[in-house]
Amino acid sequence: MGPVLKLSNVCHVRGGREVLAIDALELEAGDRLAVLGPNGAGKTTLLRLLAGLEAPSAGRSELEGVPVAGADLDVRRRIGYATQRPGLLSTSVIRNVELPLRWRGLAPSARRATALAALERLHVAHLAQRKALSLSGGEAQRVSLARALAVDPQVLLLDEPASGLDAEAHRAFFDDLEAALADRATTVVHVTHRADEALLLADRIAVLTDGAIRQLGDPASVLGQPANATVAKLVGYDNVLSVEVDQEAHVLINGVPCGITTTLDPGPATLAAWAAALRITPPGAAPLRATVDRVAQGPGHWQLTLSAAQTLHAQLPLGQRPPRVGESVDVQVDPAHASVIAPEPRSRAPA
Amino acid sequence: MDEVLGRSALVSLTATAIALAIGVPAGTWLALAHRRARRVLATAVNTGMAVPTVVVGLVVALLLWRSGPLGDLELIYTLRGMIIAQVLIATPLIAGITMAGLQALSADLHDQLRALGANTPQLVWRLWIEARVPLLAAAMAGFGHAISEVGAATIVGGNIHGQTQVMTTSIVENVGRGDFDEALVYAAILLGLAFTINALLTSVQQRAAAWAQS
Repeated sequence: MGPVLKLSNVCHVRGGREVLAIDALELEAGDRLAVLGPNGAGKTTLLRLLAGLEAPSAGRSELEGVPVAGADLDVRRRIGYATQRPGLLSTSVIRNVELPLRWRGLAPSARRATALAALERLHVAHLAQRKALSLSGGEAQRVSLARALAVDPQVLLLDEPASGLDAEAHRAFFDDLEAALADRATTVVHVTHRADEALLLADRIAVLTDGAIRQLGDPASVLGQPANATVAKLVGYDNVLSVEVDQEAHVLINGVPCGITTTLDPGPATLAAWAAALRITPPGAAPLRATVDRVAQGPGHWQLTLSAAQTLHAQLPLGQRPPRVGESVDVQVDPAHASVIAPEPRSRAPA
Repeated sequence: MDEVLGRSALVSLTATAIALAIGVPAGTWLALAHRRARRVLATAVNTGMAVPTVVVGLVVALLLWRSGPLGDLELIYTLRGMIIAQVLIATPLIAGITMAGLQALSADLHDQLRALGANTPQLVWRLWIEARVPLLAAAMAGFGHAISEVGAATIVGGNIHGQTQVMTTSIVENVGRGDFDEALVYAAILLGLAFTINALLTSVQQRAAAWAQS
């Protein structure tokens, strides 16, 4: 069976500027792809092309081999799309969810039952008779998602559907979404600028910056071996440092070995390390010396900001006494929580 | 007087109804049209909102004049001719307010409706429901503009007693004769008519606004 969604040689230009360029992207039935990228990376444009809301300037965006833009309504109606803002209509919650079912010709009793079931799955059935515009942000997001799921779409496109929710509501939202999708082979494309959110649903992550996919792979490979410094920053590495690799394969921060070796050739490289990878040792225990600039209490740990020509971010367990601001400490990097990235090949200068 | 009042209401309500039938779809098309196409036509609509009614009356009269291009229709100095003039006066206003009202809706909403599977008539109908408050404002503005204008009614209708005289042209005539008492009575009735119809529309509008928010 062929791919459900397929982008090939897509280039999209808006206002004279290329905003998206994707040579190839394919998703099979049941695939869940998270598209991670900063604001303005082209994430929403990608979803709009997949949904058929816009036609690409060049190339094809297909659903089971049929170009989506300009396709019959039947093709477009196989795609559910939850936009960043809930986009609820000024009627009751139940009528909001019933509307796409009515447009698909369902009988009143069937659409009422289907809409209620969709609201139930997202735990908002008790809001069915409320005015949709009187809901809180979290409730509205759930109703919007219930409306997108009510039509049992073959493809579900999610554009940061939980933006603006507090941490607890955010977690609960994705738990319920996961449960709602559990017994379905829905192909999901979820765009977000948050690495932690990308990991919640996805079995693949595409990192999108400046309209191009910089890395595509399973979450473990993207997190464990980011393709470049930009990807490392996006997936959430606390430290993305310019380093040197010496002839003995040691990784040097500011010319000082940091405790890591690599298989990369000698020369400049990038070191991506989680804050937890930086071990603070008493002076003299490790060659890399740093000064403590800031100590702050984080959730379950101390957050340390250190300066050693470059800014470093480290963590200490709350039970451990943190160093004082201005104190000198030595730093060693745990190779298990760090990745050395080869420099990107320089683009050739125009002739 | 009853006859003049009835004629005023008939002409302006008919003109408003026709102007709504033209202006709302036109404003909708402008709101949903491609930005480049919209820019020129939106400027034309906005200009139309500011055209003096006597200018509209003059143009319509030239068209409907017996020797004019539409003279064979014999509409000059008739109620139908006055309705045509008032339609031309009210339509740009209704189209402009419709366009602004629909553009004020979230762009996400438009995408959501299309993504939910709306075809074009379903999309437009739902957008009108969402923009019902500004659409009712457009109807009120169109009616208010039509019933209060005097320039086009005079030029196209000719203020013929028993045939084309309406409230505004009666007021002008009475003031011209120095009969301020009768002019004031007509003015009060005109205000009352405008108030009654606008009160009705405002009530519907505010109920619609309150329902969505409650």
